[in-house]
This record gives sequence, structure tokens and C-alpha cells, in this order.
Amino acid sequence: MGRADDRQRILLISSAIFIVLVITLTLSLKRSTGFQWILSGLTVGSIYALIAMGFSVIYSSTRVINFAQGEFSMLGGMLMYSISVKGGVPPWIGFILSVLIVTLVGAGLERVAIHPLKEQSVIAVIIVTIGLAIFLRALAKWIWGTDPVKIASFSGDKPLRFLGASIVPQSFWVFGFTVIAVVLVFIFFNRTLVGKGIRAAAMNKDAASLVGVSSSTSSLLAWTIAAALGASAGIVIAPINFAAYNVGIMLGLKGFTAAVLGGLGSFPGAVAGGLVLGVLEMITAGVVPSGYKDAVAFVILILVLLIRPQGLLGKSEDVKV
Amino acid sequence: MERKVEKLALGEKRDYRNLLIVAVFILLVPLWARPIPGDVLHLDIVNIMVLAGVYACAVIGLNLLVGYAGQISLGHAAFFGVGAYTTAILTCHFSWFPTWLGVLAGAALAGVIGWLVGVPVLRLKGNYLAMATLGLGEIAFILFSQLKGLTGGTVGIPEGIKVKVGEIPALSVFGFKFDTDIKFFFLVWAIVMMLMLLNINVIRSRVGRGLRALHSSEVAAEAMGVNTARYKTQVFVLSAVLAGLGGALFAHFEGYISPESFTFSLSILFITMVVVGGMGNLWGGIVGVIVLTFLPQVIQAMPQWIPGLPSNLKNFSNYTLVLYGILLVVFMMFMPSGIAAGLSHGVDFGEKQFKHMRDRVRAKKYEGH
Amino acid sequence: MFKKSTIGLLIACVCLLVAVSIGAVGCGSGNKVDASKSVYKIGAVLSLTGPAAPLGTSEQKALTMFQDELNSGAGVDGHKVEFVIVDDQSVPEQAKAAITKLINQEGVSAVIGTSSTGATLAMVPVAQQNKIPMICCAAGTAITDPVKSYVFRTPPTDRMAITKVLEYLKNKLKVSKIAILHDSNAFGTGGADELAARAPKYGIQIVANESYGSTDTDMTPQLTKIKVTPAQALVVWGTNPGPASIAKNMQQLSITIPYIGSHGIANQKFIELAGPAANGVVLPAGRMLIPASIPANSEWRKLVDTFYTNFKAKYQSNPDTFAGHGYDAGLLITDAMKTAGTDKTKLQEAIQSTNGVVGIDGVFTYSPSNHDGLTTSDLIMIKIQNGTWTEEK
Repeated sequence: MGRADDRQRILLISSAIFIVLVITLTLSLKRSTGFQWILSGLTVGSIYALIAMGFSVIYSSTRVINFAQGEFSMLGGMLMYSISVKGGVPPWIGFILSVLIVTLVGAGLERVAIHPLKEQSVIAVIIVTIGLAIFLRALAKWIWGTDPVKIASFSGDKPLRFLGASIVPQSFWVFGFTVIAVVLVFIFFNRTLVGKGIRAAAMNKDAASLVGVSSSTSSLLAWTIAAALGASAGIVIAPINFAAYNVGIMLGLKGFTAAVLGGLGSFPGAVAGGLVLGVLEMITAGVVPSGYKDAVAFVILILVLLIRPQGLLGKSEDVKV
Repeated sequence: MERKVEKLALGEKRDYRNLLIVAVFILLVPLWARPIPGDVLHLDIVNIMVLAGVYACAVIGLNLLVGYAGQISLGHAAFFGVGAYTTAILTCHFSWFPTWLGVLAGAALAGVIGWLVGVPVLRLKGNYLAMATLGLGEIAFILFSQLKGLTGGTVGIPEGIKVKVGEIPALSVFGFKFDTDIKFFFLVWAIVMMLMLLNINVIRSRVGRGLRALHSSEVAAEAMGVNTARYKTQVFVLSAVLAGLGGALFAHFEGYISPESFTFSLSILFITMVVVGGMGNLWGGIVGVIVLTFLPQVIQAMPQWIPGLPSNLKNFSNYTLVLYGILLVVFMMFMPSGIAAGLSHGVDFGEKQFKHMRDRVRAKKYEGH
Repeated sequence: MFKKSTIGLLIACVCLLVAVSIGAVGCGSGNKVDASKSVYKIGAVLSLTGPAAPLGTSEQKALTMFQDELNSGAGVDGHKVEFVIVDDQSVPEQAKAAITKLINQEGVSAVIGTSSTGATLAMVPVAQQNKIPMICCAAGTAITDPVKSYVFRTPPTDRMAITKVLEYLKNKLKVSKIAILHDSNAFGTGGADELAARAPKYGIQIVANESYGSTDTDMTPQLTKIKVTPAQALVVWGTNPGPASIAKNMQQLSITIPYIGSHGIANQKFIELAGPAANGVVLPAGRMLIPASIPANSEWRKLVDTFYTNFKAKYQSNPDTFAGHGYDAGLLITDAMKTAGTDKTKLQEAIQSTNGVVGIDGVFTYSPSNHDGLTTSDLIMIKIQNGTWTEEK
């Protein structure tokens, strides 16, 4: 076991060195342009990280990949638009209301569609989440139509410049929100009894019920947290990526990618995965012919996974015999 | 143990019997579907069945991979696309190239690519494998759109390529052209039935047992001397070949292909078909394909069934995907191991009831004597 | 417990369906169509779901409105008109299946659609084989070049829009080096290829040709690449929301070269999304977008004005150009039906001999060698200033 641990540590360190190397190389060769890519990458990466955390919350408590995670963010953004932009309610009330509604939707969906399947295979539940995603997206199209909507930036659009690069103020909101979210989620799952119980429930249902957390409550709690997280993320990023009925597909795809890259179920991993993915995308978009940028990003991603089959910060799961 | 073997052999016989019944039933579809006047159902059943048939090729293979070997792929649209593009490129760029050979080439190339990527990627497990295959699907999609000289880019084949042909030529075998829906229907479903035969043989063979062992526990299978890596690669390649075959048939049936047909949503649709139909169920693939190909069409046609509905309601489209999503959830809730399993339970139940009734009738007769 | 909740969910959905249906029915008015005459059935394949849904939804709205207008009047010579609308999910195979179904099952005499170029190209062989007239709402050049006898279109082609842009670059801006940034989908790539192929004729050199994904939200890497080239103008070819992000990113990076957009962003949504960054953007668009640019008191102007009033009354929003494309497709087919009835061959001839029919997008004239209908002069260059459109002459 010890040797395997050592090998993992070496791999982790070498992949970290590799990432740092790529970044320094970009910075030294392209100077301010490279710096711009990395700044943009961090903004986009924080967005991915926020969505990825939602994936990790549900995964770490139920082992399910929730393909409707992106739709929570979509709903958050669209509701914010209806309540605050159209309805004229002050933004902070709109924020709270939107998050509250989506949280209720998340909890409700868990009770109606996920909970009854608790004895079933994980893949059946995953297909249910695909069904829910289609349902939520279609409902949103019905309610809000197909056009993207605009939600004003929280503190203006005047870009800040430094070291030859520039960044929009909303990015700082996204950064800040990511930090707060990851700290809160981390504390909840690692320092509180309920949080620990939820994680335990995923591994051993009986042991968890001894702590007082049944797998049923843990699944409900996970979905509630994931929905709240997704909705608030959707609102914070809406001024950058525009809210529309179909943004959930892209957000879900990138969030899933980031969560897997970072190591499923690990919260620091979700953040690392998101940031690495974002920076990687922006650097490839800047370096290679842009038609191939996503292809190159995916090739690197697959290579990273082949080197670290459990993601950047994921623990290799003990194989059940 | 002996009993189990016996049961297996019995199961095999039953499988062949069922396959025969299903084959007859499906091949008879045009007989009753064609005479129905168009304004009754508002569905082109034969046409939808053709599309279901080409998807079935891919889904049967994917069911072997997901259902039996337990390996998830979210990128099978890539192999479907490789099959389609291979035959389309060969037969459009070189007009002398036989179409049937194009189809075989498409399936073969999909298999080769499946092997090349399968060997490294199958070392990954579970969701990490899902992620890697998803990436492969995206890479393939980008290549389809970017290699303009070969694939015609986003405009597609044939309009996007330099050689001017009206459309991708119809499939012809020994001079017989499959150029209508109905001819293609028989071709595709005959192929699907042959694939099912192959499917039964694979599952009942040593390989199949190895696969099932792989699914339940990889470590145990390895400990028992099953070469898991080899089995996994073999099944992956087989599923890629079948997807490539489906894609190649798709290209000749459609006459036009563009990258829009081979997106991530198609990969998701494939895996959904497998699970909704019944993962690891022999009939899961076919049932899933038929249900999910018909479902959106039926939902869309439903308002037309009600006479006297105002036209803006008939043309109302917003509800289709809402209902589709709900039905997907409902299917999984009531039949979590797939519709095929649900159906076969129903059939078993019916059979039991029938036997029960028969016995009772016989008993009564006996009493009467 | 679980059955109950499922049933609850279903009931909720049914209620929602009914509620929306009641809202959608609206009000009908006096019927002057002759009930004894046969109904003219026209098929319409539209992208109502999937990526092209924004286009298809607008077209559907316009067509439904047009159908109501016709049937509340005298229909076509007393014949009631019915548009049978089928969704193609924005994918080619479904578009092909849809047109096959419309021909075989519904027995339509002509087909409208569809919204995107790829899906339309999949429909073309079916229309040709079944010899059924088809008027599409997609702009890709490949659809009518070479001319296919049964296939027509209503929107201005990509080529017309590109010509307009190139003329503007050469005559008005007087630039010789430009950069292209386009969506990697069919619309963006088609436009960029056309632009790259025709620019040399205008003495314009393409110094950078970059692309972005339809769902990308940050295009700063591509823009930093373009920034270091000697490009004097940037042509952006794509549909919302990408070009709005680009406008904002340009402001963020203080790139000040002129931004030329495509007709794909010729809608109010672009201005709303890009905010102040939209100011100064120049793009080609149909005149229907700025009714004031159409000569007052002309028949065209009157039609467009009525179209605006009716559309606003029915849907509480301004029509976009796609609504115009859908409306015109319906208009041209029913116009041809007045002389040709439902005979497919006669109908094809009638559409092909359409001469000077006034639609929303312009004045349509088809001929055996031209199935595009409009000309470059039906387009104008418009500039966004202070959040509104002005014609850039």
C-alpha cells in the first residue's frame, strides 16, 4: 500500500509541476497576452468549478452523476431575470427568492423522482437525472422562450487593468463566490456531524444510520444543497455568460468534466478541476487554430486521466471484492 | 451448478424461439402499417422503424458493452459517425466504389479506431471512463466539422465536398438497389436480427460468461483467471464495429450527412436507449430503440389524433419535450431494470396465468369424467 | 407514497398543459372560407427544439399568424389553408423524416422549411425525388447553388450578406486588412468560408480567421490573437449570444477597430445583451428590421407595418427577421396556389414565375436560374447607435 501511496504522490506532484510549467511557459513566451489568457481562464474556470461542486455534492453522498445539475443554474439565472430584472424586486431579495425556489424544486424532484429509486442501480438514477434535465429545459423554454436574457453585472462593466491584462468586475464576484462556496461546503461535509454522516451514508448505509443520518435524508440534503449551490452559481455567472433556457447543457457538460478531472467527490478537486479546465481551454484557444481548441483541450484531459485515473485530487477508490 | 447449465441451455432455446417471434412480428410491420391512411395516426411508421433499425445496430453493441461488460461509453456517436463518414467519403469521392464495400469499410474503420482508443482508455473505470469516452466523442465531432476537404465541414456530404453528386448513393448489393424506405426497412431489420443472433451467441458463450463476471466484480473475475483487459477491449471493439455499421447504413439511407447528426446528444440517446430498454437484457437494446425513437414522434402526433382541435393547438410544440422528460423519469421509476425486463415479467406472468387456467380447465374436464 | 407523488406530478403537468392550451387558443373571428371547397394542406418542417429553436419558433409564430389571417378572410380563393407543422429537432435526419412524413402521410402539396442549412440540405433530395415544391428559411449558399428545380428560399443568402459587408468594407471603411471571428457552427463557418473566398476580389486581405464554439462565453484568447495582427476591422459571423460576448470582450480588451456583424444578430436581443458595447456595431440586415428604411406608402411598407402591428398584438413582442422568412414562405406558396391550385408541377411553375410579389423581407422574383428571390439591394447596412438601429448609407 505504501508504495502505491508514494507513486500517487509522485504522480500528483508531477502533474502539478506540469501545470505550473505550462502556465509559466505561457506567461514567459506571451507575456501580457499569456497573462490575459490565464485571467480569462481563471474566470471561466471558477464558473466550471462552481458547477462541478454541485456534481461532487450529489456524487459524494449518493454516487450518482446528476445530469440535471446544469439546469439548476439555468433556472437560477432565469428566475433572477423574472424576479429582479422584469419584476423590479431588489437584486438581493431576487437572489434569495430565486435560490429558495430552485432549492425547493431540487428537494421536490429528489422526493418525487429520485427517492423512490433508492434501491435501484446508480445508472437507472442517472437516466432519471437525464429525464429531469430534459423536462426542466423544456419547461424553461415554455415559460421564458428561446432568447437569452441579460442580467446586469453586480458592480458595473468597467474593466480593471493590470500588467497589461484586463478583467471585468463580475469575475471577482465569481471568484469570491467560489471561495465562499467551497469553504462552506467543505466545512459542512468535513466538520459537521450531519455532513460526515452524509458522506458515510454513501459508503455504508448501516453505519451512517447509526450516526443518525439515513440514506434517505442524506440524499434529500445532498440534492437540496446541490440545487442551492447550482442556482446561486447560475445567478452569479449570468452577467458573464447570459442566462437562457439552454445554458444548462453546456454548464452541465463542463461541470461534469471539471468534477471528473479534479476527482469525483472531492471538493478541492472540483475547484482544481474547474480552474485547470478553464485555463487549459483559454490557453489552447490562444495557441492552436481555434477550430481545434476544444479537441486539443479534450486530448490533454484524456491524457491527464490516463496518468491519474482517479482525477487530479481524487482518492483511488478501494475496489470492493 | 448442473442445474444452472441446464437452465442456460433451456434459456438459449427460448431465446431463439423469441427471436423468431420478434423477427416475424417486426418484418410484418409494413404489411399493416402501410395501408393505414396517413391522416389516422399521422406517423410514418416504416420510416421511423428504419431510423430505429440503424440506431439498433449501435445500441445492441452498446448494450453488450454497458449491460454485460459494465463499461460506460458516452462517446458512441463518434463510431456511428466514423462509419457514416467512411462510406459517404468513399462512395462520393470515388463513384466506382461499391456501396456495400463502403458499409463494411465503415464498420471496419470504426472497429480499428475503437481498438486504438480502447486499449489505453479502457484502463479507466466508471465515471472516468465515461468522461474519457465523452471526450473522444467531442474530438470526433470537431474533426468531422474541421476536416473540410474530406468531410465537407459543417455543410456536410455531398454538398460540402468538391465532387458533385446529388446525394450519397443508395446502398446496392449485387446490383439490387435499396432505394426506398420499404426495401431499406427489410435490409436493416434483417441485419438487426442477425446481430441479435450474434448477440445470443456471444452472451451464451465463454466470452459472455467472462463478461458477466467482469460486470459483477472485476477483481473476482481477474482472480478467476479471466483476462479482463482483453475481454473489455474485445467488447469495446465489437460495439464500435456495430456502431460503425449502423452509421454506415444511416449514411446511405439519409443520402446526406453533416456533423449535426453525430453530437453528444446522440451518445446520450444511445445510452438512454440501453438503460430504458433494459441494461444487460438481451432484448433491452431493441426495445429501448423502438420506444425512444417512436416516443417523440408519437407525442408530437398526438394532438392530430383529436378531431376538431384548433390549428394553433395542433401546432403547439412546447409540451413535447416536457412530456418526453417526464415519461423518461416515469419509465425508470416503474421499470428500473428496463422495459424489456418489465415486458418479460408481464409475459411470464401471462404465461403462468395461462398455464394455471389450462390446468384448471383440464382439472375440471377430469372432474367431469 | 411514490405512486401518489408520481400521479401528483402528472396531474400538475396536465393542469399546466390545459392552462397553456387555453391561453394559446386565443380568439377566432368570422369565417369566410368556403367549407365545401377542399382544404389546402401545406407542410412546414421547422426547428422547434434543439440549437436552431430560436429561429424555428419565430417562423412558427409567423406561420400560425398567417394561417389565421388567411382563414379569417377568404383563405386561398375560398379554400381553407392548413399549415401542418412538424418539428425537426434541429437535426438533418429528423428533417428528412419530417418531409417524408408530410408527403407520404399528410399529402401536402408544398413544403416550407427548414430553419438551418444542414437540415434543409437533408430535405432537398426528398423534395426533388417527389417533385414537391419546397421553400426554405435557411440562408446557406449551397441550398440553391446549383439551382434545384423544386427548392426555393425566402431569406437573403449568406452570399448577399457577405457582398454587402465587403462593399461596406471597401467603399465606406476603405480598409484592406480584416480579421474574421466566426461561430464554429454551420452558419458561422459557411459565412466565414464565403467571406474568405470572395474578399480578394475586393482587394481585401484576411489577416486572421478564428472561430469560437456556439456556447463559449469568453473569446478574449481569440481577440488577443487578433489584436496583434494589422487587421483594420473585425467581421464577426454568428448568432446570439456569442457576438454579444465578443462585443463585451472587445471593450474589455480596448480593441477599437470597427466591428462588423452578420445578419444573424439583426435583432433587438443583441443590443440588449451587449448593452453599451453594441454601440458602433455595423451589420447587414433585411429592411423589415427598420420599417422606416422602406419607402413610405409603398406596398411593402404597408405590409411590414401591418405585420408589426398584428405580430405585436398576438405575441406581445416585435417580430424578428426569422418571423419574416416564415411569413414570406407561406405567402409565396399561397400566392402561387391562387393560380396553380394544388397540382405540384403547376405549383412549381407558378412559384418559379413569381414576379414582384411583395413580402416582408422584400420584393420576390424567382426565375428558372434564380431561386433566391431577393437581391443584394433588399439588404441594408445598419449601425447601432445609443441602443437603436440607424441605416448606414
